[in-house]
Amino acid sequence: MSRLEVEHLYKIFGRRPETAVRWLEEGADRAELRDSGTTAAVIDATFDVREGEIFVVMGLSGSGKSTLLRTLNGLLEPTSGRVLFDGHDLTALGPRELRRVRSHGISMVFQHFALFPHRSVLENAAYGLEVQGVDRAERERRATEALELTGLAGWEKSWPDELSGGMQQRVGLARALATDADLLLMDESFSALDPLIRRDMQDQLLELQKRLKKTIVFITHDLNEAMRLGDRIAVMRDGRIVQIGTAEEILLRPANDYVASFVQDVDRSRVLTAGAVMEKCAGDADSSGRSVTMDTPIADLCALSADSDEPIAVRSDEGKLKGLIPQQTLLAALAGEVTHA
Amino acid sequence: MPRLPLGDWVDSGVTYLRDHCAWLFDLITTVVSGMYDGLDAVLRAPEPLLLAGIFAVLALWLRGLTAGILTFAGFALIDSVQQWTAAMDTLSLVLVATVITIVLAVPLGIWSARNRTVGAVLRPVLDFMQTMPAFVYLIPGIFFFGVGQVPGIIATIVFAMPPGVRMTELGIRQVDGELVEAAEAFGTSPRNTLLRVQLPLALPTIMAGINQVIMLALSMVVISGMVGGGGLGSSVFTAISQVNVGLGFEGGISVVILAMYLDRVTGSLGSRVSPLGRRALAAANSLRGARVWTYRPHTAVAMVGVVVLAVVAGGMNVFGPSSTGTAVAAGKNVGHGRTVNLGYIPWDEGTASTYLWKEILEQRGFAPKVTQYDVGALYTGMSTGKVDFETDAWLPTTQKSYWETYKSRLDDYGSWYDRTSLELTVPSYVKGIDSLADLKGKSKEFGGRIIGIEPGAGMMKMLNDTVLKKYGLDGEYQVTTGSTASMLAQLDRSIKAKQPVVVTLWSPHWAYSKYSLKKLKDPLGAWGQGDGVHSLARKGFASDEPQVAKWLKDFKLDEKQLTSLEAAIQDAGQNHEQDGVRAWLKTQPGLVDKLAPIAA
Ligand SMILES: Nc1ncnc2c1ncn2[C@@H]1O[C@H](COP(=O)(O)OP(=O)(O)OP(=O)(O)O)[C@@H](O)[C@H]1O
Ligand SMILES: [Mg+2]
Repeated sequence: MSRLEVEHLYKIFGRRPETAVRWLEEGADRAELRDSGTTAAVIDATFDVREGEIFVVMGLSGSGKSTLLRTLNGLLEPTSGRVLFDGHDLTALGPRELRRVRSHGISMVFQHFALFPHRSVLENAAYGLEVQGVDRAERERRATEALELTGLAGWEKSWPDELSGGMQQRVGLARALATDADLLLMDESFSALDPLIRRDMQDQLLELQKRLKKTIVFITHDLNEAMRLGDRIAVMRDGRIVQIGTAEEILLRPANDYVASFVQDVDRSRVLTAGAVMEKCAGDADSSGRSVTMDTPIADLCALSADSDEPIAVRSDEGKLKGLIPQQTLLAALAGEVTHA
Repeated sequence: MPRLPLGDWVDSGVTYLRDHCAWLFDLITTVVSGMYDGLDAVLRAPEPLLLAGIFAVLALWLRGLTAGILTFAGFALIDSVQQWTAAMDTLSLVLVATVITIVLAVPLGIWSARNRTVGAVLRPVLDFMQTMPAFVYLIPGIFFFGVGQVPGIIATIVFAMPPGVRMTELGIRQVDGELVEAAEAFGTSPRNTLLRVQLPLALPTIMAGINQVIMLALSMVVISGMVGGGGLGSSVFTAISQVNVGLGFEGGISVVILAMYLDRVTGSLGSRVSPLGRRALAAANSLRGARVWTYRPHTAVAMVGVVVLAVVAGGMNVFGPSSTGTAVAAGKNVGHGRTVNLGYIPWDEGTASTYLWKEILEQRGFAPKVTQYDVGALYTGMSTGKVDFETDAWLPTTQKSYWETYKSRLDDYGSWYDRTSLELTVPSYVKGIDSLADLKGKSKEFGGRIIGIEPGAGMMKMLNDTVLKKYGLDGEYQVTTGSTASMLAQLDRSIKAKQPVVVTLWSPHWAYSKYSLKKLKDPLGAWGQGDGVHSLARKGFASDEPQVAKWLKDFKLDEKQLTSLEAAIQDAGQNHEQDGVRAWLKTQPGLVDKLAPIAA
């Protein structure tokens, strides 16, 4: 079931945005518009985000990711098109109702953390609840819980500027989680962190997501991050969404040359899974020896495969045989030549 | 290039406003002067040292022990140079002006931060307000608001507003856009975004702006003292116009002490009230550890200190003997506490006669209020009814132009001192020059200059239009313009250096007793017959207070009385004029009953 549906969404900055939409519908492109002083930040975006998934929007700088994200909670009003949140059209809401949706239903995590420097960590985490009008004791209890969830128990009384970047972003995450909103918008939330901390945060987000089952729209310009986090990924280029699919679909079947060249440098062995590269074969081959589950990254298969010439068995979680991976298949996949499955 | 009658348009605009929006100006006047009177009464009520103690506790709370001690010493100094009441008047003016300025400036700043059009419109207006010379709107202020504190406060508000607006706007614009977006993303209303995010984060900048507002207000309040605003401004103005450098310095140093106190206190108030500042303070304290010199009481402790001192102050005021009041003898209470407003120009005979009447009226049960003005302001004040009477009008000659302008709204109660004279004067060591006629051909000796006074003074007009022409001096001498104070300073300087100098002077004047001078004879009678010093009152005063009017009409002093009274006042010192009057009255038994007889 989808929490969020976006239909033919346009966002134009500058003069005469409606005219620009008409031109774009008639096939004009972004560069032509820019000459006339208008920026088409998002062009004809259509997608849906399903309950409980992490939906990643990926693209280079200036491709319109942040703009797209801000139309999802009404911080920016779309020039045309609709955004349906749980079936309600956000573009039709008045400012007051929109604020209600933002405080109860959708929360946001920012690139540079956006913590309030004049509030303690606890007060920051409790901010959303304060806006909702939750009484003090209750909101402090829930904020403390959210901070525990993100691994910041004991830091409640500190001030944001006393924390490291990673910890600050955990506060940002706690602030978003405390409101119990189940749609989370994250705009390049880990981009400002150094690589090790970024990995930690990604792991932690996946960990939390297993427990909390939120619906997350995550923006990034880092392909590896997109592949690690995303259940599905939308690739944006110059304001348009050029492909939507799982990490494997994008890696294995890029929609065009742009996406292909984009994904060229990805560490495939960490993205592709056994299930995606195996040669399908049903039935019940012997259950002896080496078998892996469908979602094992193929990086983990290399050592196994080097041990013997026998193909590796791929089994479902229940132990049913799903397919086999011979050495050649594995090598071909690593070389980027897998096209079947 | 045709002459654009810009000035005429402004004039008629001013007249139109005065005639058609009088109710508005009256309302503003009532509100502002009400605020001022209330605050001033509060500040003046306690014993000076007690209030100094309260100020010191505030400084102790905000900045620590050193600041507390210095504050007490500073205010004690103000008290000991007898500038206390003037300083409290000034403080009240500054605080009232600042509060009104902030109430206007902060919302304007917020508005222009949120709306670019407003910001763009406001910017040139603020520039205009800040750079227009203050006197340009200080004097018209008198037309609208009457003489007194109000035009000074209004001018101060106009002058001090720009930094308040600008710093508020800047502070809000400086707040990180991502923070504002974060607030919005969590559903905060625009109002709350402003109150919970933008304002708290902009507060340090806004407080810096308020600090500037207070400093500008203080400087402007001092200037407005010259047009009847009172306070330290008129202390300084009086002292300087009497070429009393020492006294001027005492007033000046009191201004400086007030300025430093206000600056430091509001500076640290900024860090006390803003959440970010409080954090920085806490951090600094924990580093420094507890030490006596930096000890600062907690807010609660400081509040208790202030309250205790305030209660003591109030108590002393209620129960303490009031030693300064004038006792009203039984059966002589004519006034029954009715207020009479006296205005005066800080010239010696004006100060002397005014304070004499203040004392007499108090002895007769009135509540006289004495305010110091500049000549023009005094006439305007009487014509608008703000001042009831004055006793220092030089008529029919010197102040002729003022009298002609305002006579329809004034009554002349006749002269109490006859006869004054105007003259050109040289030091007696200048040989061979005894009469105006002797000046002819001697311009080299005097550098071709006659040292004049204020360009607007009636005497200057006579000198240029009549006297010089009659004696054929007009091509030969230049009359310099300046002020009475600068003329006297030049006279003093020349005498010290034994150089020839010719100045414009008049009698009676204390310079004649201080220096050995020679009045130049006027065989042609070019200076006219001289003046009497008249008492003038607003029309209608005689029917409101017939008894007082009668006393004033019969008022007379001879030269001996006047000069001894002036000397007694000079001895008592500035701000203690009335003590001088009392001391002098002891040497004049029965004079009060003679000047203000009680009808049987
Ligand atoms: N408020 C605005 N007014 C005018 N143009 C804007 C505005 N916001 C964004 N744009 C333009 O829209 C385009 C898309 O911007 P957007 O911030 O959405 O890109 P992005 O993909 O998030 O880039 P980045 O990775 O740098 O954050 C850019 O060309 C940008 O200049
Ligand atoms: Mg962005």
